Amino acid sequence: MLSFLWLMLIKSAPLVYAALGGVLCERSGVLNIGLEGMIAIGAFSGVSISFATGSAILGAIGGVVCGGLLGAILGIAATRFRVEQIVAGTGINLIALGGAAYGLVIVFGQPGASKEVNALGPTGEIAMVCLALALAGLLHAFLFWTRAGLHVRACGENPRAADVAGINPLRVRFWATTAGGAIAALGGVFLAMAELDLYSDGMSAGRGFIALAAVIFGRWNPLGAAAAALFFGAFEALQFTLQRTGIPVEFMQALPYVAALIALAGFAGRARAPAADGVPYRR
Amino acid sequence: MPALALRGIVKRFGDLVAVDGVDLDLESGAVVALIGENGAGKSTLANIAFGSIAADEGSIERNGVVGLVHQHFQLVERLSVWENVLLGREPRKGWRLDIAAARARVRELGERYGLHVDPDALVETLPVGLKQRVELLRELEREPAILLLDEPTAVLAPSEIESFFATVVALAKRGIAILVVTHKLAEVISYTSRVNVMRAGRIVARYETAQTNADELARVMVGGEIPRLAERTAMPRQVSPVVHISGLRARTESDEIAGLDLALGAGEILGVAGVEGNGQTALADALAGVCGYEGTIRFRDEDLPPTLGPRARILRGMQIVPQDRQREALVLDWDVTENAILGRERNPELRRGLQIDRAAARAFAQTIVDRFDVRPPQVDTLVRSLSGGNQQKIVVGRVLAGQPTFVLAYQPTRGIDVGAAALVQSRLIEARNAGTAILLISFELDEIFALADRVVVLYRGKIAGEFERDAFDRGRIGALMAGSS
Amino acid sequence: MKFSRGIRDAAIAFGIIIVFGSLAMLLAGVNPVDGFTALLIGAVGNVPETAETLVQTTSLLFPALGIALAFRAGLFNIGAEGQLLIGGLFAGVIGERLIAPGIIAIPLLLLAGAVGGGAWGALAGWLRARFAANEVIATLMLNYVAIQVAAYAITGPLKSAAGAGNETGELPASSWLPTILPDTRLSIALLLALALALLLRWMLRSTVIGYQLRAVGDAPRTAQRAGIDLAKMRFWTMAFSGAIAGFGGATIVLGVLHRFNLALSPGYGFIGIAVALVGELDPLWVTVAAFLFGMLQNGAIGMQAAANVPRDVVTAIEGLIILVLAGRRIITRSGAD
Repeated sequence: MLSFLWLMLIKSAPLVYAALGGVLCERSGVLNIGLEGMIAIGAFSGVSISFATGSAILGAIGGVVCGGLLGAILGIAATRFRVEQIVAGTGINLIALGGAAYGLVIVFGQPGASKEVNALGPTGEIAMVCLALALAGLLHAFLFWTRAGLHVRACGENPRAADVAGINPLRVRFWATTAGGAIAALGGVFLAMAELDLYSDGMSAGRGFIALAAVIFGRWNPLGAAAAALFFGAFEALQFTLQRTGIPVEFMQALPYVAALIALAGFAGRARAPAADGVPYRR
Repeated sequence: MPALALRGIVKRFGDLVAVDGVDLDLESGAVVALIGENGAGKSTLANIAFGSIAADEGSIERNGVVGLVHQHFQLVERLSVWENVLLGREPRKGWRLDIAAARARVRELGERYGLHVDPDALVETLPVGLKQRVELLRELEREPAILLLDEPTAVLAPSEIESFFATVVALAKRGIAILVVTHKLAEVISYTSRVNVMRAGRIVARYETAQTNADELARVMVGGEIPRLAERTAMPRQVSPVVHISGLRARTESDEIAGLDLALGAGEILGVAGVEGNGQTALADALAGVCGYEGTIRFRDEDLPPTLGPRARILRGMQIVPQDRQREALVLDWDVTENAILGRERNPELRRGLQIDRAAARAFAQTIVDRFDVRPPQVDTLVRSLSGGNQQKIVVGRVLAGQPTFVLAYQPTRGIDVGAAALVQSRLIEARNAGTAILLISFELDEIFALADRVVVLYRGKIAGEFERDAFDRGRIGALMAGSS
Repeated sequence: MKFSRGIRDAAIAFGIIIVFGSLAMLLAGVNPVDGFTALLIGAVGNVPETAETLVQTTSLLFPALGIALAFRAGLFNIGAEGQLLIGGLFAGVIGERLIAPGIIAIPLLLLAGAVGGGAWGALAGWLRARFAANEVIATLMLNYVAIQVAAYAITGPLKSAAGAGNETGELPASSWLPTILPDTRLSIALLLALALALLLRWMLRSTVIGYQLRAVGDAPRTAQRAGIDLAKMRFWTMAFSGAIAGFGGATIVLGVLHRFNLALSPGYGFIGIAVALVGELDPLWVTVAAFLFGMLQNGAIGMQAAANVPRDVVTAIEGLIILVLAGRRIITRSGAD
């Protein structure tokens, strides 16, 4: 039982990070479909930097920074260029996934997967799981108990009202999206460097999209999204427990995605996104 | 030394010159009016004075903080009253928001200005009058020396207007310079000391209020005589109503109907008076078939099932002029022709098999353009580039083409210039003369009085009173609109 | 209006390819001149390569047309990859067992592909219509479910004797699409795709149903009040969009691989988004864009072989094109419901 719980936490951690990053972005009014790419970038750059420097910690920091950079790109696209955010997010994913695959050859000289690198080890793994859960609480406090958090929420609901009150919605959205990217990238760092010690093509496997479902399921609240992420992670953990039964492996592997679909169908209608989510703001 | 001095303000939006060289002064303690019809540039000028829009030319001198109460409130619906009032200036205790202090501040402001609201209430739950109060408190919180009010009484009942202006006068006594941007001339005469008349981006006249009157102001505002409406012909009393509503219950996001009975006959305009938010949208949406309802709507001799969609209603001869032409009646990216045939694209006379008959569609659009004097008159003009008045003409023209049995006109002259408004109203009267039953929902009592044969007052989702044309009583109707009896 | 914008977007796409392609080549230690030369030769350097480029063009064009159609109705179909896969699955699994003359088998199998892809798209459409579920996430999730469904099918209950691992057995030669150019993989699928593009263009511009579809995409609340059934329109558009992608998957099975393989698509359903965008959602321009991207896809292989530039850089560049061209408001949110 306990081992199942631990398995669930490990499988959920990347989802929690990505979902929290998504919550921050969307609360400010930027729809972030690019979480998948941010996970991939976090994973790849973390591993690459660890490979180059020999330090797992530096790799982790590097992963976060690169995630932030990707978030910043989305932020600029959303604020300065007022793009169609769903399409932009799709582009970000391809940039990250293609870039990582390309990077594998450039950095490691081989396609498909990287070499093994210095990773965070078991203590690092535990630390990152705890950090994920703590981050949920911290984000909640930030959004609901601080001035800056109130401003973020105002920008996501009615950016014009925020503007009138002297807040710059474009700046708020830019920083929220950058920070969101950095947080989401931590999910990739966990995947590649806490659970494992390498990066392989496509290892993010749609987690960024499941995280989106968690954001909706959790009604754009950090604690709710984290809980939803744990729920989806449980399905992934279930795969291993049910391996011994006769259920085909493909059914197991499809479980998290089907769970997300069912959650979407059951709850989407009743959840209300931040009113200005996905709508570019013109000053 | 005026509190606010504007000199030579010019503002262009592409080819359109919204403000064309305006000078304006505002002294402390004065209540001054800026009037003009829709599209004259008043709101743009107010926003420039406030600072949210930058002028292209000219200078602005402000002696103190400027506050602006917007025509369409700038409130964050899902946040509380205190969060809205103190947005951007929230009190802090260390890293946390000091919610207790915030609440206290809102209460203190309420006491000082006589504008009480519950600080913890979510704005989206408040009625429109209280929302305006929150908007006002937000501006007052910043201790402005200058206060701009953009169409402040659009959402108030006639009796609420009195207490609103009492507040305004009290604020002026404290030394605040107040500019009221409005098109409501009666209020200007009663409550202001000076009037500036704006037309096509320029100030064309300035008056001491005491030395002018509503008629003169109206003429100067429009720049000529007010166009007259079509004649109403005498209509025989109808035996059986075209539309009969009983026990209607409906609800939309913004308002609800809580048990309504109403009957409307052929060749009659029934006006529904009321302050915005008392159920007009729910009534309109229920009739249009875009929201569910309980109760009966009987059209001719048929009980319409609530699930009957818009298409079936259109086919039966019911036509709707929606409240929001840009979002609910038009496809802005399309041209006049494609907008004109909306709702009729499946009609046999406009199609050839699977295809749309382009020639027939253009001809149809041309008849509307001609009858409603749409400018420019080319049917391949993009609707987005048309003025509000011309856009509305296309909508009403499309609705009235083909002599519908029933028309619901919801704010048919909202935000359009006087000329276009008069034309639309005349066409509605002509339709009535020809036998169409028209339900007119409007927030402008003047419009209802000009057009309606009968008036009902809508208050809190129910009918509060009914009046025949020869017994229209502005005072009584105004009182019913505010809920007193 | 469309013409000048189409040229501008194509120019932007070109610019991105040149600039970022050069950067990536330099990073790989390759002279951009050599890199792009290898790319061009790989794409259109000789007849066989050009034929293969056209094969890639066809494989991209089908999902791109489906995606463009959905976009026009205001729907984000990010699931073309899964719809393509299921369509190919249907065609492959039925095809390897079906013995019939080509004149019967081929249309039947293509139809099966359309049905498969259509059902997959309809599933997302149903979720959107019935539950107001965000179709972006729904279609994305269904992509992953599609992979599992296909994998399970061909290794489990629908496994045939000839099938192995991640592919089915080979289809009988009579069910193969006739080739246009001998000794190449270029089949009549290209002609079918071009015909489809013309059909869709006519549909959108001239027919009543096309008019209604555009209304739903350009002004949904207006369309609803004018009597158009939004839910029905959206459902059938998603189904049709999926069917087009599924049809495309079937053409890959019948015309290129002659069997169903789990790795049938190197991401055509995603690159199709870029193709649809560069093509301004207009079927004719989408065709031109499909050729451009077909050149990228095929040329990249040659570029990797001849000049040692990893071909995944093309994916990243395609993503960048999507990001930059998302600048246009494709879906006007005039009162999105």
